[in-house]
Amino acid sequence: MKNKEPLSPHIQIYSWHISSLVSISHRITGIINIISITLICLWASLLLFGESYYIIIDLFLSSLIGKFIILILTWSFSFQILSEIRHLIMDFGYGFELKTTKITGLLVIFGSIFLTVVLYLVGKNFI
Amino acid sequence: MVQINLPENSRVIKGKYFKDKTGSKNLRKINIYRWDPSTREKPRIDTYEVDMDNCPSKVLDILNKIKNEIDPTIAYRRSCAHGVCGSCAMNMGGKNGLACTTPHAEIDGDINIYPLPHLKVKRDLIGDLDGLYKQYQSIEPWLKSNSKSESKEIFQSKKDRAKLDGAYECIMCACCSTSCPSYWWNGDKYLGPAVLLQAYRWIIDSRDEERQKRLKKVADELKLYRCHTILNCTSACPKGLNPAKAIAEIKKMLATANV
Repeated sequence: MKNKEPLSPHIQIYSWHISSLVSISHRITGIINIISITLICLWASLLLFGESYYIIIDLFLSSLIGKFIILILTWSFSFQILSEIRHLIMDFGYGFELKTTKITGLLVIFGSIFLTVVLYLVGKNFI
Repeated sequence: MVQINLPENSRVIKGKYFKDKTGSKNLRKINIYRWDPSTREKPRIDTYEVDMDNCPSKVLDILNKIKNEIDPTIAYRRSCAHGVCGSCAMNMGGKNGLACTTPHAEIDGDINIYPLPHLKVKRDLIGDLDGLYKQYQSIEPWLKSNSKSESKEIFQSKKDRAKLDGAYECIMCACCSTSCPSYWWNGDKYLGPAVLLQAYRWIIDSRDEERQKRLKKVADELKLYRCHTILNCTSACPKGLNPAKAIAEIKKMLATANV
């Protein structure tokens, strides 16, 4: 009897590089952002029921875990916006040379961390 | 649908170990994917110790050495050995390339050799490329001219000819398409970088008269727009071409032209 042909290994063996990492992170942060925006909208809607509903979530977000989540979300939005700009430039047909994609990819990764820190400091000191 | 795990019959198990018999001090371990259609066994990884003092510089040389001196049962495609035919495309050290042009010195540690990713395996390092060839056929990769007489040469300016540079050099080795995660998950519908580069090659050919039709044909959510600029294709191409840019150019043409 003939053995059914196996599928050759793919994602298990393929090595990662900057562009593939940025691409998959773009997707993951996109999903995180959609969910978080939905939750923020729901939170805003809860204001209709009065102050106590607002306070519960406010308390949660002021806790250590809450602050951590806000920080993650700040990074997620920072990453998404920078990566989106990279995509936009690529849609114009620029920046496809391997070296350029590496540089812009690194810019997105480190830029998102930088932007998170900036937003954190701005939020802490001025708001 | 995205399936991260391999199906049950495709899980790779540990295989045989071929110890060095030459007594060489300069040994390297080569792990090679093996699958024999005549048995009912699962695919396995065989390990070979190879004497690197008497081995030329490319990965294909290692494979030839193993086949000639250690284990004649190993199967792989090869022909020209000069990076022109595209037969020896495979996955080496986690990256697709041609075994005949990939220096083994560029791979760190043990050398892992697999068939091109996400293909049905025919045997050992030989993957089934039927699907890709059918897709290639579907874009009708030949010149279409209706008005001009077929007996006369069709002239092309140097400028128009230059547009084909970076597209005509493709040898259809499938390194790019089989490196693309989008092609792994949607290979039945998404055309993949290799075929789209060829689609682009015919769309921009000034002598071709069916540019509009070609564009219309390729303008499809699944056929074209599954490219998310992961750029595995461009980094895999052994000829240094840029399929990702070609795909972006097609998208640009569709966005700007009335098709």
